[in-house]
Amino acid sequence: MLKKAREQEQTISILVNNQPGVLSRVGGVFGRHGYNIKSLCVAETTNRDVSRITLTSESDPDFTEKIKKQLDKLVDVIEVSDVSGQSYIQRELMLIGLTVKEGAYSDILRAIELFGCRIVTMTPDYFILELTGQPDETAAFLKFFQSFGVEEINRTGSIAIERTKPQRRI
Amino acid sequence: METIGADIIIQILREEGVDVIFGYPGANTLPIHDRLINSEVRHYLMRHEQAAAHAADGYARATGKVGVCIATSGPGATNLVTGIATAFMDSTPMVALTAQVSTSLLGQDAFQETDIIGITLPITKHSYQVHDVNNLAATLRQAFELAKTGRPGPVLVDLPRDILSSKCPAAEEKAAPALKANYKTEEDREQLEMIAKTLNQSERPILIIGGGVKLSNAFLLVRELIEKAKIPFVTTMMGIGSVDSINGYNLGLIGTHGNELANSMVHQCDFILAIGTRFSDRSTALIEEFAPLAKIAQIDIDPTSIGKSIKINLPYVGDIRDALTALLPLIDAKEKSEWLQRIQSERDAITGKVADTGCGLAGDFIRMVQEAMPVETTVTADVGLNQIWTVRTWQARSPRSLITSGGMGTMGFSLPAAIGAKIGTPERAVVAITGDGGFYMNIQELATISYYNLPIKIVVINNGHLGMIRQIQDLFYNARFNTIELGSKVDFVAVARGFGIPGSRIAVDKDPQAGIEAMVKADGPYLLEAVVDPENYVYPIIPPGCSNIEMMYDRLD
Repeated sequence: MLKKAREQEQTISILVNNQPGVLSRVGGVFGRHGYNIKSLCVAETTNRDVSRITLTSESDPDFTEKIKKQLDKLVDVIEVSDVSGQSYIQRELMLIGLTVKEGAYSDILRAIELFGCRIVTMTPDYFILELTGQPDETAAFLKFFQSFGVEEINRTGSIAIERTKPQRRI
Repeated sequence: METIGADIIIQILREEGVDVIFGYPGANTLPIHDRLINSEVRHYLMRHEQAAAHAADGYARATGKVGVCIATSGPGATNLVTGIATAFMDSTPMVALTAQVSTSLLGQDAFQETDIIGITLPITKHSYQVHDVNNLAATLRQAFELAKTGRPGPVLVDLPRDILSSKCPAAEEKAAPALKANYKTEEDREQLEMIAKTLNQSERPILIIGGGVKLSNAFLLVRELIEKAKIPFVTTMMGIGSVDSINGYNLGLIGTHGNELANSMVHQCDFILAIGTRFSDRSTALIEEFAPLAKIAQIDIDPTSIGKSIKINLPYVGDIRDALTALLPLIDAKEKSEWLQRIQSERDAITGKVADTGCGLAGDFIRMVQEAMPVETTVTADVGLNQIWTVRTWQARSPRSLITSGGMGTMGFSLPAAIGAKIGTPERAVVAITGDGGFYMNIQELATISYYNLPIKIVVINNGHLGMIRQIQDLFYNARFNTIELGSKVDFVAVARGFGIPGSRIAVDKDPQAGIEAMVKADGPYLLEAVVDPENYVYPIIPPGCSNIEMMYDRLD
C-alpha cells in the first residue's frame, strides 16, 4: 500500500549503532508502512560507535508520530528526532551538470552569482555547478536552472544539526 | 575438552533456565549438538523445523518461559520462518538459534547458506549474527532478555559454524547488558487518575481483555478490577482464559467470529478500558463503526500498539501489572448497575434466539471432549472452523490452557504446539484439535509424538474440506466452490497406526461418546477422527467490510 498523500516533507534524524545491517532495519520500517524515502544521508558522529541517519520522507500528518514509535522499538536505534522544525539547521549539497546553449552564457553567470553557487568545472558548453543550501533554496535553484538545460543532478539529501548546544552526549 | 563457542551456548542456556530445546540438526549445528550430549539441556528432535518453532512457541505459551528452537543454516533456517512469524504476531517470547556457514564463506552462496537475518527482519523483535566468539555470551544473554522484556517476541541468533567451534574461555558470570531505556516506562500517575475518573463516571463501561494480560501475568489484578468496578468484560481471541468466566461478567469473544452479546454490548458501551490488546481487524471488524459511543482507554506496554488502528482518548504505556496495581485503589467499588441488568436481558434474548453455540454438532462434540477430559487440560486449536468452534465452546478455566495462533492464523500450528505444551507442562493433559486441512500441514509430527511417546490426544475434525474457506465461498462468493475439497479417501486412523499411534473414527452425529471414551482411556497418544458435515459452519459471522453488529445467522440473511 503506497500512501497517496504528498502532504508534507518530513525530515527526521536518527542516531543508530554503527553496525552492519542497521540501515536495512531502519529502511524496512519505512517500506513496511508504505512510506517512500525521498532522501537519505548516513555518517559517523563524534562517537565512532554511533551513526546519524538523516532521512526525508513525504507523508501524512500522522507520519512522524507513528514512524518515531516504530523506529524507537528498534534495538539499534538510540534516538529519533523530528528535525523539520525551527530548532534545527538543515542543509543540502547539490551538483548539477548544465548544458550551456548559445546566447545563454551571461544569464547563467548572473544566476550563478545570484544563487551563490560555485562552478566546479567547465567546458565551453557544459558546466558543473555546486550549491549548498536549505531544502527550499536548492529546490528554487533547480527550478530556475531547469530552463537552461539541466543534464544531470546529484544531491546529498538533507542533513541537519541542532541550532543550540545539544543536551545529549553520545 | 577445551571450551568452544558451542559450550558457551549451552552455558547460557542453562544460565537462562532452559532445559528443553526443539530442533533439527544439520552439518553446521553439529558443534552444538555434539556438546548437548553431556549437558542438562534436552533436545527434542522434531520431524520438520517449522514444527520445532511451533513447539517452542507452544512450550512458551504453556509455561510463560522463553521457548528455544534450533535449526541448521539454509533450508533449516528458512523452515523456521512460519513459526517465527507466528510467535511474532502473538508476542511469544522465543529465541531461535540458527547455524550459519563459517564467517569466511559468508556472502559466497556457500552450501546451505542463506541470509536468515534478512529474511526474518520484519518478523523478529531483533536478530544477531555473531562474528566474534568473545561476544557470544553477551549476545545470547541480550537475546533472552529482549525476548521476554517489554512486549515479548522472537529473537534470532545466527551462529556461523567457525564461531561455534572456536576455542574460547568460559563465559564470565555477569548480567545481561542493559537494554535501551525506552523499553522501560515510568508511571504516569496523572493519566491513570484520568482513566480511573472516566471509568468511575461511566454508566456503560466494558473491559476488553487481550493477550497482554497473559503475557504480564496480570490475571488476579484484572479479576480484582472486574469485581470491584462491577465491569463486564469481553476478550479477544488471545485474551481467552485470562479470567475465568465470572458469572454474568463474561460477555464472550469479540470480533468477526465473536459472540453476539460481546459485539452488541461493545457497540452500546460508553467507555472501553482495553488491556493488552492492539485492536486488530479481527477484533474490531469495520473500524469506523467500532464502539461508536465509547471513550477508549488503552493500557499496553508497546507504544506502537497504542492508537495504531483506532483513536485512543486515554492512552497508557506501561506494564499491565504495574498499571493495574496503581489503578485499582483509584477505582470506586460499585454496586450492580442498570447496565448489568441490560446486559442480562440481552443475554436472555440471545439465548432464546440462538439455540446452540453457533457451532453446530462440531461445537457440541468439542464440549463433550472437554467434559471427558480432566479439568487440568490444555487445548491447542488449529486455524479455520476448528479454531472458532474450539474458542467458542471450550471453557478455558485457567490462563494458559487454550493455545492457538491468533494473529498469524497458521494452519498446522496445533499439533506441534501441543508437543511443546505437553513437554512444558507434563502434569497437564493436552488435547490438539485440528481440522483435516491443518493436520496435513504438520502431519509428520505424529512421528515425534510417537517416538517420545507423548500422551497427546489428537482430535482431527474431518469435513473433507477447507471448511472456513468453504463457508466464505458459500456465503460471499455465491456458493461457487473451488479448490476447497480435500476428499475422503485418506484414512487418518490408518495413517496414525502407521506412525505407531492408536486411534478410531467417529461421526459427530452418531455416537461420538464411545470414541471420546477410548481416547481418554488410552495411556499414550491417541488420534480421534471426528467426521462432520462440511456445511457445519460457524454462526454468527461478520461479512467482510461490515461492522461488529452486522451479524449473519445463516446464508439466507
